[in-house]
Amino acid sequence: MEEKKRIVITGLGTLNAIARSAGQFAQNLKRGVCGIEPIDLFDTAAFRTHLGGQIKNLNPREHIPREFSHKRLSRADAMAMAATVEALSDAGLYPFPESLCGDTGVVVGGGSGGLLEAEDFYADLLAKGSARAHFSKLSAIYCASSADRIASSFGLYGPKTTFMTACSAGATALGFARDMIVGGQAERMIAGGVEPMCRITYAAFNALKSVDEGVCRPFDKNRAGLSLGEASAMVVMETLDAARRRGAKIYGEILGYGVTCDSFHMTAPDEKASGAVRAMRAALASSGLRPEDIDYINAHGTATPVNDVMETKAIKEVFGARAYSIPVSSTKSMHAHTLGAAGALEGVVCLIALSCGFVPPTISSTEPDPECDLDYVTDGARDKSLRAALSNSFAFGGNNTTVVFGRYDGEGALHA
Amino acid sequence: MHSRRNLPDDKRVVVTGVGMVSPLGTGRKEFSEKLFAGASGIRAVSAFDTSGFPSHLGAEVTNFSPRDHISLKNLRRMDRTSLLAAASSRMALTDAGVVVSEENRDRIGIILGTAFAATDVTAQVADALLGQGPSSVNPILVPNTVMNAPAGHTSIELGFRGVNTTVTHFAVSAETAIAYAVSEIRRGAADVLLAGGVDILSKFYYEVLTRFRGLSPQDGRSEGARPFDDARNGYVAGEGCGMMCLESLASARDRGAKVYCEILGTALGSGPAAPTQWPVKTDGITRTLKRALGDAGIEADQIDAVMAAANGSDVLDRTEADAYTEFFRRARQSPAVTSIKGAIGESFSGGGLRACALALSLDEKILPPTVGLENPIASLNFVLSNQRAPAVDCALLAGISFGGTFAYLVFRTSES
Repeated sequence: MEEKKRIVITGLGTLNAIARSAGQFAQNLKRGVCGIEPIDLFDTAAFRTHLGGQIKNLNPREHIPREFSHKRLSRADAMAMAATVEALSDAGLYPFPESLCGDTGVVVGGGSGGLLEAEDFYADLLAKGSARAHFSKLSAIYCASSADRIASSFGLYGPKTTFMTACSAGATALGFARDMIVGGQAERMIAGGVEPMCRITYAAFNALKSVDEGVCRPFDKNRAGLSLGEASAMVVMETLDAARRRGAKIYGEILGYGVTCDSFHMTAPDEKASGAVRAMRAALASSGLRPEDIDYINAHGTATPVNDVMETKAIKEVFGARAYSIPVSSTKSMHAHTLGAAGALEGVVCLIALSCGFVPPTISSTEPDPECDLDYVTDGARDKSLRAALSNSFAFGGNNTTVVFGRYDGEGALHA
Repeated sequence: MHSRRNLPDDKRVVVTGVGMVSPLGTGRKEFSEKLFAGASGIRAVSAFDTSGFPSHLGAEVTNFSPRDHISLKNLRRMDRTSLLAAASSRMALTDAGVVVSEENRDRIGIILGTAFAATDVTAQVADALLGQGPSSVNPILVPNTVMNAPAGHTSIELGFRGVNTTVTHFAVSAETAIAYAVSEIRRGAADVLLAGGVDILSKFYYEVLTRFRGLSPQDGRSEGARPFDDARNGYVAGEGCGMMCLESLASARDRGAKVYCEILGTALGSGPAAPTQWPVKTDGITRTLKRALGDAGIEADQIDAVMAAANGSDVLDRTEADAYTEFFRRARQSPAVTSIKGAIGESFSGGGLRACALALSLDEKILPPTVGLENPIASLNFVLSNQRAPAVDCALLAGISFGGTFAYLVFRTSES
């Protein structure tokens, strides 16, 4: 263990394809609900694929109280604010006490920011020329906008930043938030990730031919790629001492994390799995845990042919013979791959699994792949008391982040 | 000089190398000669036609030949930000005498700050998608649309596989990256980290900055960058990359490496400001500054220089000057204040170059001038355009961004 401070999560908030709240998310993860359906956010007629894990009928006014500005609210910012308000309420910190503003920070892992709105601007620019395009529309589309909006809405003075490491950004944001509290830079952090769907991202993954035309099937023999999704997931993180002092309910601990790089290829994972192996080992070392302490792995599990074999190989290398007895699931089969938000969303999955005591399933996977021979929980959710959970997030650029969460059993513990 | 913090040598972080591609030239020697000579990298923009714009100046990278620094195999896959980042990183490692090997590569990494990364590549994808439809999107472009592409390419080119992260938060992107790198080394997550920032100038950004009323001349008078000057009327857009090689004092000592300076402490913060506006209130600055000194374990009295964030903007420069006047009012000495954005322009992630400049200042025992400053707006101890300040022992690197984001780092000479 690097430091003695114990850091816990006391509030959860999320919007994603299968839930409008963390509570609903827990129910639907357990039920194995699939949120991958035809999307209506934009016209997919010209695309090769038409499905996605979209948040349908998103109405920011249902989630964000009127006291906050709704002006120039991008889809990303609306999703991030909604999850933040929920997480703070869940933690018993809404309305946010003014006395806490000075030492509370915010960190967001992002992917495309307001790219959806930027596309409208860009279409305008192409059609009308720069003299008549509305550049003011760009003021809310930058990647750092969500963190800025959260900080200004709640009057925060603590550390604020945004990570942009594609599909590992949300996971890195959680680790960074932990560092900020351990290092004494903040007493509590609002941390997570946000990724809205947009045409450019949809087109980019289609161009790379990494999207399944149907619903993604992680670890299945016939898997043919990922399903794209969107989500926001935010948590409230603070020291165990602080949480206990104010009698907060505690979902679990963030024990540590590891960040590595493949240094191999920009979009393909290293088939030797070295980057993934080192990320998991670094996260275990940072957590002070041994491989035998991990009871659940939330896999990156994108359902691309290469990732799932590589990740299986990596898990076997790290966990040895025990790999076969640890449940490994890809919840992307339900909420799709939410890119920049994925690490944070799947962090929330782990915290739900630890506090509610169940293993979320991998759905839509029916035919075993001889190269993927671990227990992927394809037969539905299992009630099980879990001590610690490990979550993998691997990204373009060869970025790998693994985060380890632990069940908390003391005062304030939240178990089913 | 004494610090209250008694960190062990493996948690004290030092700068052992610098590398840059900048408007003041490429590489330490050229950069440092021009920097301390008070040269300016600002001239008429040559990369694109500015005749339709009210502004015509820019701080463009000069004397940079990617082939001198990057292998041909990787060079053709890189966008321009990646070229600058990989070249600067190679120079920083070489300067530090670090040779990447099988044995050390997993403990070497990069944390890169960028405000925009390769948004110009994303714009090309948008052109194809919105102009001709999804099937015309070239998959070759896609890997460079993620903001972590420069750090990913750099790791592939240089062969290191440790921590790899990309931070974006507008004008404090690089300062935040460096602060996070310090935290990661203290945490023991890496032995050697490259940290800094990269951004490039393009016609698209130039237009955006023009529309957001940032670029000089806002008052229609003479165009130029004049930080803290009565006649300031906006900033001059810049570009470049500055990377530092960071490691623990123990590691530097074991290697027998030259140490430029130590980074004693860091702090990140937020404060009130509208999304695309510089902060008007000083409290975000003073609160973050106070935490940085706390992290460093020193008092305001011990600061004898500030590498300021002022860039010639009406509001930013006024707020920053007011904040220092207020903060150092009771200090026994008034620190020398300089801003090199009069020489390198405002590139938003210029904190990498400014950090390198400060490391060189502490090493060479001279502070560079504020090019363009003749009639100061406050009675601070400014280093004017024609001056150099003598040796300093302990200095601040200031990062201030619109949207109300702050980063302060405390640098100290390495004598001790």
